[in-house]
Amino acid sequence: MTDRSKKSHTGSKNETPPEVRFVRVPSIAERKLGTDYVAPMRLDPRVLDQMQTTIKGLEARYGDALREQLGTLLTLVEPACGGDTEARGRLYAIVHDMRGLAGTFGHPMVGRFANSLCGYIENAGARAWQDDTVFHFHLDAIREALESPGADPAITLETLNALQKLIAASTSARRHQG
Amino acid sequence: MTQSIFKKLTVLVVDDSAYMRHLLMTLLKALGVANVHVAAEGAEAWELFRRHEPDIVITDAAMLPVDGFVFAERLRNITGGALGMVPIIMISGHTDLASIERARDIGITEFLSKPISARSLYQRLIQVIDRPRQFVETPTYRGPDRRRRNQPFDGIDRRGVVALL
Repeated sequence: MTDRSKKSHTGSKNETPPEVRFVRVPSIAERKLGTDYVAPMRLDPRVLDQMQTTIKGLEARYGDALREQLGTLLTLVEPACGGDTEARGRLYAIVHDMRGLAGTFGHPMVGRFANSLCGYIENAGARAWQDDTVFHFHLDAIREALESPGADPAITLETLNALQKLIAASTSARRHQG
Repeated sequence: MTQSIFKKLTVLVVDDSAYMRHLLMTLLKALGVANVHVAAEGAEAWELFRRHEPDIVITDAAMLPVDGFVFAERLRNITGGALGMVPIIMISGHTDLASIERARDIGITEFLSKPISARSLYQRLIQVIDRPRQFVETPTYRGPDRRRRNQPFDGIDRRGVVALL
């Protein structure tokens, strides 16, 4: 990260230190439209509707892909926890994909469960793979959320809390084991 | 008005997820963007960038072998013209403070956390198209002005002297 604190108090009040240059960049709108450009540009509700309809149209296909990905994940847990580094990489990549996409395509809880599992893998590092319990519980939660998308949000949030507690317990157990 | 500007844009989308690439490309087409180029990682994106010189870059952060941070740094290192000042929108599932600060300090223009929505993408695009921040060049940083709020501060105000591109 850049250490900016060292640079902010040099020179006299009205002097611009030569090593700093500010450049005004013309807006793309100005550059592309020239005299046709009318500021400011605003969000057009019709265009936004069109974009949202586009996402809706992709949702059904993504649901199928999610089910397929879940099936793949279930087959990857055992080899990944058994030491197969390629399986670990694939498993993480799929869960990371779910974390980023599921929410956009109408499966917010799947996204949150995937986010929880990603966080576990990222924080625990290699030790995450010592025990498959956390993986199985997360994948069960993802399957449940996929099968019952209209489930009571309070219940799914409760599941998310339970998963967080499971991760905390697993982390603590590993710490005690040294 | 908004439709006509989008029709004139060339956008480069970089993401290792085929679904994300498809989603972004479809959303940009729905906006009316005429030219969308897609790459699966930073090295491929660099080649496309040089070939097409896009107006806007939308990139994921975590990719292999070349990630979005390295790619963005490479773009910001282009000197002598407007190309190195291209607006970069980073879309990432890593929303921890360290990742966001890293993105800011390598000169990312806008940061968008996943999952994205149509509205959030549209708003970020309007922001970079219509309301660009002035560019700052120092020996250690090259990118949009990181100060977004006009708050009083101790020290000299160096923002008064602005060059025109």
